[in-house]
Amino acid sequence: MKTLLIVLGVIAAFIVVLALAAVGSYNALVSSNQGVEAQWAQVENVYQRRADLIPNLVKTVEGAANFEKSTLIDITEARASVGKVQFTNGPQNAEQLAQFEKAQGSLGGALGRLMVIVEKYPDLKANAGFQSLQAQLEGSENRISVERGRFNEVVQAYNTKIKSVPAVFYAALLGFIERPYFKAKEGAAEPPKVEFKFGDGKTQP
Amino acid sequence: MIQRMLVVLAFVVTAAHGAETMPAKPPRFFNDYTGRVDRGMTDTLNERLAQYERESSNQLLVAMYPRMQTNSSIEDYCTRTFESWGVGRADRDNGAVLFIFIEDRKMRIQTGYGLEATLTDAESSRIIEGMKPFFRAGDYAGGASFAVTAMIEATKGEYRGTGKTLAEGRRHSLNGTQAWLMLGLLLFIIAMIVLSALQARKRGYVYDAKRRYQLPGDRWWNTISWSSGSSSGWSSGGGGGSSWSGGGGSTGGGGASGSW
Repeated sequence: MKTLLIVLGVIAAFIVVLALAAVGSYNALVSSNQGVEAQWAQVENVYQRRADLIPNLVKTVEGAANFEKSTLIDITEARASVGKVQFTNGPQNAEQLAQFEKAQGSLGGALGRLMVIVEKYPDLKANAGFQSLQAQLEGSENRISVERGRFNEVVQAYNTKIKSVPAVFYAALLGFIERPYFKAKEGAAEPPKVEFKFGDGKTQP
Repeated sequence: MIQRMLVVLAFVVTAAHGAETMPAKPPRFFNDYTGRVDRGMTDTLNERLAQYERESSNQLLVAMYPRMQTNSSIEDYCTRTFESWGVGRADRDNGAVLFIFIEDRKMRIQTGYGLEATLTDAESSRIIEGMKPFFRAGDYAGGASFAVTAMIEATKGEYRGTGKTLAEGRRHSLNGTQAWLMLGLLLFIIAMIVLSALQARKRGYVYDAKRRYQLPGDRWWNTISWSSGSSSGWSSGGGGGSSWSGGGGSTGGGGASGSW
């Protein structure tokens, strides 16, 4: 009788310990997931900041010189398409992120072309309003690369967590899915980043 | 915590690449590691910046180096350096650093999140432009002085100060972590006293011939060397004048760069 009680007691204690560990692990996953979503909001925020500069930029450029219209139309269209790709809870898979990248990339490309063309217009380059916009645009680009880098960091922490014991056994059941990373910008002077491959081919090298 | 670990990890990895050295936390507000600005001017500007933190709680720093020690861009280098220093208060992120790399002829104003609204990219860019004529003429003190004035003007009124810099505040009172550490230490000591009392009592009742007699001095907790509790994070005071101490502020990459 006494032995049975002891055995039951041990089992009960074991279950309690296990339950506490599970709660702790679950809460850690939740907070890590929240971290990813918060950082994603920050990423969208800095991209939005860039998009918000565009109406002013177009107006300044239009007014300052008889500028070729096609680039400006490109930019305006790209800006409109950027607004359509938004995820409140962050991208859930690589396809969604690629979609976001594509839209933002076309806007970035159009802006890049504009800046090259502007080189031919010294009056515009000397315009104080344009200089201020240019500084803001550069700042936005830099913010974008900073927040993208930080997004990859929190995603890496989160992905590591859901792929580690014990979370790996139940993370997927509870809806904690692997999050996609940003690709490093091609040709951009970015620092060597620490990247871990998780072996499913979706993460970048 | 994780972010901090990643920063450390990233740092270790980049260091392994052999290309980069991150500047250490500077001891003061105005730091000239090149010897281009004379002592009197350095102290004057340092005091102005310290006084400005007392009034506004904003931490504005100037750091002049001979050159960048990285293969990365100045924007990326300065952003990560700013993060590792933690300029500005953690709850306000109200710091900004003017980085100058003399031999690279490059400079950058790096703005914390909390000062982005006043020290905008456009404003930073104007300040950078304003410094260029001074630097081209070799007047580094003049350029730095101009920038200090302009940065103070731009960020004035955003926050209110406490009358003390963070470095001064820390010298006189404990911060949160230190208070908790002290409390933990106190509880630990009490627990040790209680435990040893209990053990002594137990020994009084049970006689065990096999157990070696323990001298009081042999107890395991006496072998722990007590650290004196002085924190090395306190103000180092390098070179006299007001010293600077970071509050854990963060930057999102705002600011402007330029070369002369």
